[in-house]
This record gives sequence, structure tokens and C-alpha cells, in this order.
Amino acid sequence: MSGQLRLLASVAARHLAGRRRQTFVAVSGVAVGVGFFLAVSAMMIGSQNDFIKTLIDAAPHIIISDELRSPPPQPGVRLYKGAAIDLRHYKVRNEVRGLKGWPEILRAVNTLPGAIGSPSLTGAITLRSGGREEALTIVGVDPAVEEKVSTIEDKLRTGRLRDLESTQGGIILGEEMAQRLGLAMGDVVGATSASGNSRSLRIVGLFKRGQTQLSSALGYVLLREAQSLLGRPFIINRIGVHLSDPYDAQPISRRLEARFAYKAQSWQERSADLLSLLVTRNVIMYSVVSAILLVASFGIYTVVSNSVSDKRRDIAIMRSIGFSEGDLQLIFVFEGLALALVGILAGWLLGYGLLAILGSLHFPIGGENERLPLDRSARQYAIAAAASLFSGVIAAWLPARKAARVDPVNILRGAV
Amino acid sequence: MQAQGLSRELVGTPPVILVSDVSLKIDPGSFVAIVGPSGCGKSSLLYLLGLLDRPTEGSVLFEGQDMNPLDGDERAQIRLASFGFVFQFHFLLPEFSALENVMLPMRRLGRLSQAQAREKAQNLLIDVGLAKKLDKTPNRLSGGERQRVAIARAIANDPVLILCDEPTGNLDSQNSARVVEMFHTLAHDQGRAVVCVTHDADVAAAADVQISMLDGRISETDIRKQ
Repeated sequence: MSGQLRLLASVAARHLAGRRRQTFVAVSGVAVGVGFFLAVSAMMIGSQNDFIKTLIDAAPHIIISDELRSPPPQPGVRLYKGAAIDLRHYKVRNEVRGLKGWPEILRAVNTLPGAIGSPSLTGAITLRSGGREEALTIVGVDPAVEEKVSTIEDKLRTGRLRDLESTQGGIILGEEMAQRLGLAMGDVVGATSASGNSRSLRIVGLFKRGQTQLSSALGYVLLREAQSLLGRPFIINRIGVHLSDPYDAQPISRRLEARFAYKAQSWQERSADLLSLLVTRNVIMYSVVSAILLVASFGIYTVVSNSVSDKRRDIAIMRSIGFSEGDLQLIFVFEGLALALVGILAGWLLGYGLLAILGSLHFPIGGENERLPLDRSARQYAIAAAASLFSGVIAAWLPARKAARVDPVNILRGAV
Repeated sequence: MQAQGLSRELVGTPPVILVSDVSLKIDPGSFVAIVGPSGCGKSSLLYLLGLLDRPTEGSVLFEGQDMNPLDGDERAQIRLASFGFVFQFHFLLPEFSALENVMLPMRRLGRLSQAQAREKAQNLLIDVGLAKKLDKTPNRLSGGERQRVAIARAIANDPVLILCDEPTGNLDSQNSARVVEMFHTLAHDQGRAVVCVTHDADVAAAADVQISMLDGRISETDIRKQ
């Protein structure tokens, strides 16, 4: 800081020191604003991040399925491209569902940096136990790969995904499904597929209740078990892709779809409606917390405005000494800046304390005693500081303009 | 410094004439007193000469340069570097000590380092007899002491022109005499021009030139010493 700026800052500091009570109130206003900004935004952004993490972890970051966005053109249309032909009532050839050439797709996925692909086969079966029947969608997976791609392992109440490999005919079910069928760990249940194949399956794991991303009508079996039970040997109908950076999912999914024609959905595409809701939620949240900071800046406006009114004599004498209009404006802007800076520091401490308190509280969420998800990143502190500084400087600049416009002659004439 | 046909009029119905067609010349080393009844335009003339106000007609020439075309910042820079002001009500900054008040113009001008400015301010205050009051704030100084601090501040940047508005108006006779003696020293020993608006007969009598004003005009110029 140059000597002249230091001089102006020291005049501002003396003004503030001479008005301790008002200074304290204004600083407290900014501190409370910043503190509550941090608390509210930490909860909102924390819950949002938690929600997005849940969305990301709910399923692989990209799912390549045996579907096509638009049906392939008929052979006649392909053959006579651009010709005036109109084919009607042709007999459609039934093609076997599943990802054709999936080993090549899987290889392509695995060569992407930080990407892991997990092939799986999904199909419907019926479980029978003690006269009760329940429809179930089974997902046949390779446990060694699947545990790298999904978070199933974390959702298990008992058992492990790898137990599917060690137990012949093993199946992992949801607790609710097991309860409906009156089954427990280690019990055997009859399974029949639509193709008529039947098996006896042994329960080797149960995943927790209340998992939105894991339907109670979903079960996991070994991939070759699913292929055998569903009568679709060597076929898979889905490749789940896990990426080191989930936010790369969209461009990568577009590239994969362009290359292999199969539908490749990123987690963002699957959750587009929820993500757009979050944007609205953020706009509302930042509007509310910005209003808190704006109100806090009124305190700065009051202090600086009063200071300008009280210091008219000093302004006149400084003008006569040779201080410029800009100098005087800067003095009062410095006052606002100082109030905002001290308020921000106090607000950071207050916010830090509030976050410590909020972080220590436990709430019953989904039957579990969990802590509030809080975003304690430096970004929130920086946003609160920037918004407070901006509003503080504007709040000070408005009355500071008045100081610059003070006519020293009027003051010197009327001085008493 | 020269004033040529200087007029200052306040817009209104009817318009108020503060200064009307005043021409004068102030030489270095002269002590000029401007006297006249209240409301005759003495202070208004001083503010025009001090570049705190702009004339409605005429011009002020300082070191041969017309001051009218200069903008506010340029006029402020000339006040800072070349002028010093002393007012009746001393106008010290209440939050600053006597020493800091005297350092203020030097720090703003920026020609001296902080240490140099401090040393010079100390010497100036010692010269005006306030060696033991350096760290006192204005509210802990007497009226005479405050005025001496104001004079020390006015000469801090070595101005060529010192403009005073009723500098002894609030002082007793002893302090007044001391202030007049200082003006003599500034003008005659240091070669500065001192222009003093005053009602005080003793101050007027001590001046080299006495300009009498009436209704915004110079009614008489009495040159007593050269």
C-alpha cells in the first residue's frame, strides 16, 4: 500500500475507532450475515452434494444397454439409399436381444483412462417359497468387477458380493423381499425364469431396507448363473461403466454411443429432471442468503453515512489542506471496507462454530442415526466474503460520494 | 499572486453579490490584512484566493498561471503544495494528535518519508512552543495551543502563501500577540506571503498592507511598509 493510501486508511481507522458502538453493531451485522450464510449454504450445498453423490453412486456412471435410440433402417431402405421406395407390411426379423460384440465394447471401455466396465445380464424370474411367489429382476454380475463399479457392497446388511462366487447358486436379495418370502440368510429359494428354467438359489447376502436405488424386487446372482437361468448363454444386455471423474460421463457416453450405436446413458442424462430441480433450489438458496448479506450491509451504510455527516468539518479542512475529492471518497470507502473485512473474519469464525455445532448433531434418517451432510469447502467461505465485500463497498461508496461533494466553503463559513 | 476583476455572486432572487470586481496583487514576503465590517466579502475573497471557491467573473493568477481552467484535483494539488490555511476555529482533526495533525499535509504530499515528516512536524511544533504537547489530541490543548498547531500545520509543506481567516478571533490578547509575531516571522524572515482576514485591530495594524472592503469591493488600500 502506498504512503498516501496508508494515510487515507489511517484516517478511516481513526474515524471508526471514534465510533466504537456503531462500528461494533455494523461489524456484528456483517458477522451474523456471513455466519448464517455459511451455515445455510453448508447445509444446502452439503445435502445437494450428498444427493448428487447418491445419484452418481446409485448406478454406474454410464450404462450401455442393448437398446437403440432409433430403430435401424430396413435392409431395403439401406440398400436403396435416397430412392423413392416405400416398404409396407414387411415381415420383421426377430433379433436376439443383447449387446452384440460386447467383448469389443468392453475392451474399448477399459482402454479409456480411469474407466472400468462391468458386463451384466438382467432378466425377470419368479421366486417361490412356501407357496408364496414374488417377481424378481435378477442382475447377473462378475462380483470381482462389479464391486469396483457399483456401491452394492456398502448396501449389504449381511454377506459380501464375492460370496456369489464361493457359493453355488448364490443370490443376494433385499431385506424386504426376504421378509415377504419368509426367508433369511442361508435359506434356499426356488427360482423360475420366463424361459422355463428352474433353479434352487441360496441366499448369501441381504441388502439394507430403504435403498431407493436398490429396488426390493432386485436380486444379484453370478453372471453365468443368470445366463443359464434365463436361457441366454454368453449374452449380456448391459455394461456398467465406472469413471474416475463422474463428471466426464456425458462426453464419454456420447462418444461410446456414436461408436457402437447402442444407447449409452450418463448418470446426468438419467437424472436430468432431478438436476434441474437442484438448479432452482440453488437459485432460491442464494437469493435468500444474499438477502441476509444485503441487510447486513445496511449497517455499514448507516455507519459510513453518519460518519460523513459528523465529519463535514474534517472533510472541509482536509479539502482546504489539499486532499482531493477522490481522497475523501476513498477514506469513507475504506471505512466500509474495514467494517466488511472485520465482519467477514468474525463471520467466518461464527460460521465455523455454527458448522461445528451442526456437524455434531445426529438425526434419524432412513432408520439410521446420521449426521447432516455439510459442505465445509473454502469455496463457501470465499463466496460469503466476496458477497459481503461487494455489498460493503457499495454500501460505503453511496454515502462516500456525498463526502466528495461537500462544499468546503459552506462548512468553513458556517463553522461554529 | 494576483486577482483580476474577481467577482463572486450567489445565484438566487435577488442574487447575492459576495465579491465584486476585486483586483489585487500579493507579493512574496508581504503581510496583508483584509479588514472590513461583517458580511463585506472578506472571507469570500480569501476562499477565492485560496482556490476553495471559483469566481463567477475574473480570475486568480498564481505564479503567472490562470487558475480558472484547472479542475478540482489540480486546484487541490496547488493548495497542498503551495498554500497553507489557518482558520478561526483551528479545524484540527480531533482523532489525531498535534504531531499527527501537522504531519497530515506532508504525508498527503508524499515528498518526505514518514520519519522525515515526523521529524519536521516535531521541529515545527517546537518552534511554535509546543514541544511538550506533541502527543496531545486537540481536546487536550488550549485555544491558543490549537491555533499554534494549526499554524504549524499550515506551514508544514513550506507554502509560499498562507491564508488566514480570523486567526485570532478566538484567542486572548497574549495568544493573539504571539500569533501576530509568528505571521511577521513567516512573512519577513521566511519570505512567505501572509494574507489575513481579520476584525482584530492589532493584527491589522501589524500588517504591511491593509486592504479595507465594503459591500464586496475594495474601498481602500493602505500600504504602510514595503
